[in-house]
Amino acid sequence: MKPRPPSIKKVSGVVAVVLASATLAACSSSGSSDSKSGSGGSGKAILIGSVHPLTGALAGAGGLMNDGAKMAVADINKAGGIKALGGAKLKLDAGDSQGSAETGQSEGQRLIQDGAVALVGTYQSDVTQNVAAVSERSHVPMVIDVAVDDQILQQGYKYTFRIQPNATEMGTSGADSLAAMGQANGSPVKSVAYIHIEGSFGQSVFDAFKKEAQKKGINVLKEITYPATNFTDATTQVKEAASVKPDVIVDTGYFPDSLLVAKSVQALKPNIKALYGIANGAFDDNSFPATAGTAGTDVLSANYHYAATSSKVVDIRKRFQQQFHKSMETASVLSYQAVDVIAQALEDGKSSDPTKLRDAIAKVSVSNPLLAFDGPITFDPTGQNKNATVIVMQVQGGNVEQVFPTKFKTAKLVFPVPNK
Amino acid sequence: MTLSTSQASADPPAAETRAFSLADARLPIAVTGAVVLAIVLVYTVGGRDPGLVTQSIVTGLLLGGVYALVSVGLTLIFGVLGIVNFAQGSMLTLAMFLVYVMGHSFGIPVYVATVVAIPIMFGFGWLVQLLLLNKLTISGNENGPLLITLGLSLLIVNVLLMVFGGRPLSVPGTVDGSFTVLGALVSYERLIAFGGALLVALLLTLALRKTSLGLAIRAVSSNSQGAALVGVNVGRIYALTFAIGSACVAVAGGLVAPFISLTPSVGEQFTILAFVIVVLGGLGSVVGATVGGLVIGLVQTVGALYLPGTGSLILVFAVFVLVLFFRPQGMFGAKQ
Repeated sequence: MKPRPPSIKKVSGVVAVVLASATLAACSSSGSSDSKSGSGGSGKAILIGSVHPLTGALAGAGGLMNDGAKMAVADINKAGGIKALGGAKLKLDAGDSQGSAETGQSEGQRLIQDGAVALVGTYQSDVTQNVAAVSERSHVPMVIDVAVDDQILQQGYKYTFRIQPNATEMGTSGADSLAAMGQANGSPVKSVAYIHIEGSFGQSVFDAFKKEAQKKGINVLKEITYPATNFTDATTQVKEAASVKPDVIVDTGYFPDSLLVAKSVQALKPNIKALYGIANGAFDDNSFPATAGTAGTDVLSANYHYAATSSKVVDIRKRFQQQFHKSMETASVLSYQAVDVIAQALEDGKSSDPTKLRDAIAKVSVSNPLLAFDGPITFDPTGQNKNATVIVMQVQGGNVEQVFPTKFKTAKLVFPVPNK
Repeated sequence: MTLSTSQASADPPAAETRAFSLADARLPIAVTGAVVLAIVLVYTVGGRDPGLVTQSIVTGLLLGGVYALVSVGLTLIFGVLGIVNFAQGSMLTLAMFLVYVMGHSFGIPVYVATVVAIPIMFGFGWLVQLLLLNKLTISGNENGPLLITLGLSLLIVNVLLMVFGGRPLSVPGTVDGSFTVLGALVSYERLIAFGGALLVALLLTLALRKTSLGLAIRAVSSNSQGAALVGVNVGRIYALTFAIGSACVAVAGGLVAPFISLTPSVGEQFTILAFVIVVLGGLGSVVGATVGGLVIGLVQTVGALYLPGTGSLILVFAVFVLVLFFRPQGMFGAKQ
C-alpha cells in the first residue's frame, strides 16, 4: 500500500475537482425537449425556444417559468393555433441554462439551429445578455420574460425585447411609491437603510433608488451589501442597518437571503415604519407568508406582479395549480406572457420568418396584459416595454395582497406597520 | 466488531503521542491568541460600533458552530480514508430533506427527526463506502473515490430536484425565538446547532481517544497496512469511518434545517468552506475542524464589517492560503 500522500497533494486534488465539477455540471444534462409536440394537421409546427435554469440552484424558479411557457403554448394550440398562418401549431423547445451564461449561450445557439423562430428567457441578467447576443447575431427575436439589468437593452440590439421593468425603473418606482405611500398615510418617510445582494442586480436597483430618493427628500443613511453565496445569517447586516435609526429598511435580493433578512428584522425588532422590498425575490412570493410566519407579516414589496384582479389571470393560475401542483408565481406568468406576445406577433405579421416576426413584435400592442401594468404591452425603440409598471404588495393575513397604487389594490395598505 | 485491543495498544500509533506533545500545542495557542488579539484590535481601533462588533462576533461563533458540524464528518473521511468526499455537501442536503420529510409527512418535530436521521445516514454512509468506495480505497486508488463521490453528489442533488422540485422549502422550528447577550442577539436554534457541534466534537474525540474502536480508526489512519497486520479489519474500519462521517452530517442537517431555506443545492455552499476548515484544522483532527470552523465563522462575519459582500469570503480564502503556506499540515495536524 502506498504511504499517505502529503496534504498539499490532496488540496490540489480538491482544486482539480472543483474545476472538474464545474465542467461536468456544464455538460451533464442537456435540455429535455418538450414532450407535447402538438403538431396538429399541418405537420410543421412553429418552434419557440426557451432558455431557463432547469437544474442548479435556481431550478425552482426556472422550472416554474418553463411550465408557464409550456402552458401558454398548450393554451394557444387548444384555441386553434396561429389563425393567420392556417391554424399552425406552436411547439416549445426547452433549453436548460443551468444558471450559467456559457451554457445558456450554447443552449440558445442549439435552439436556433433546431429552427426556433423566437426565444424566451432567461431569469438571470448575465445569461440573458449572452443569449441576447446570440439572437442578435442569428437575427432571431428574443422576448425576455425575467431579467432586470438595464445593460441588456443598451447594446443597440434590434432583436431583443423585454416585458418587465428594468432595474432603473424598479429602483426609481420603488422610491416614488415609498414616498407616495408615506404621504398618503400621513407618515412621510425621511430616511432608509438599504440592504442588498452584491452584483449588478442589487447594485443597479440600489443606484436608481438612491438617485430618485434624494429627489423625493428621502435620505439613504446606509448601504449594506452581502455576498450571493455562503450567506446564512443576516443578523449583523440588519443590526448594522438598524444602527443608523432609519424610518424604513429596504431590501433587494433573492428568496433565501431575503427570508433571512425578514427573520432578522423580526428578531431584532428595530423601531422602523416598515420592511420594504424592491425587486425582491421573496416578499411577494406566494410561499413567503407561510415560510416566514410572523416575520412576514405586513412586509411590503415593490415589484412587477401578475394582475391579481384580472379574471383571465385567475383562470390561468388556477389551471396551472391543477396541472403542475404548484403556485404560479409572477415569473411564471411572465413566461406565459412572453409566449403570448410572440403568438400575437405571429398573428399580426402573418409570417413565421424570424426577421418579419421581429418587425411584428416591435409593432405589437398586447392589450389586457397578464401583469399589473398601466397599459398594453408595447415596445420602445430599445425593446423595452413602455407600460411596464411597478406596484406595491403587502403580506396580510397570510396572503400577498396588492396595496398600492389604489388602481390595483386587493387590500388596504397598512403603513406605518405596527411594531410586532 | 472484534478488535485485538491488546495488540494494538501495545504499540500506540505515533499520532497519539504527537497529539499530546508540547511543541504541537504551541500553534493552537498562538492561533487562539491571534484571534483574541484581532478581536481586541477590532474593538479598540477598529472604528466600528462596539454593539455591532459584539453582534458580529456572536454571529460568527454561532455560524462557526455550523461550519464545524459540517467539517468534523469531512475531516474523519478525509483524514482516515484519504478520500476527498465531494458528496459531503449534498449528503448534508440529503439529511436536511430527510428531516423535512419526517416533519412534513409524519409530523415528527425537527430535533426528534434529527435523532432518527442519524442511524439512517450512518447506514447510508456505510453502504456507500462498502459498495462504491472500499475496493478503490483499499487498492490505494487516488482519483477513483474522488470521482465517485463527485458523481454521487450530482446524483443526490438531481434526484432531490426531481422529487421535491427546486422551490425553497422550510422546516418549521420548534424553539423559535431569541435572547440577547451583551446586547447581541442569539437565536435559540442557532445556539442549539452550536451546542450540537461542540457535543459531536467532544463525543468523537472521546470515541477516538478512549475506545478500542477509536484506536483502530487511528491505527488505520496512520498505517493501514500495519493495522491490517495486527488484525484490524481495514475494510470494515473504512466503512465505519465513512458512516460516522455521514452521521455527523445528519446531525448538521437536522440542526441547520430550521433556519435555512431548503433547496437541492443548499448543501453545496458548505463543501468548499468545509475543505478550507479541514485543511486549516489539520487532516483527521476533530478538534482542529471544530476550532477551524469557529475561526472561519469569525473571519467571515467580523471581516464583513470591513469588507462587505464577497470581501469577507476573500478574507477566508486568504487565511486558507496563509495556512497552506506556513503550516501545510494544519493547526492540529501531525507533521508528515
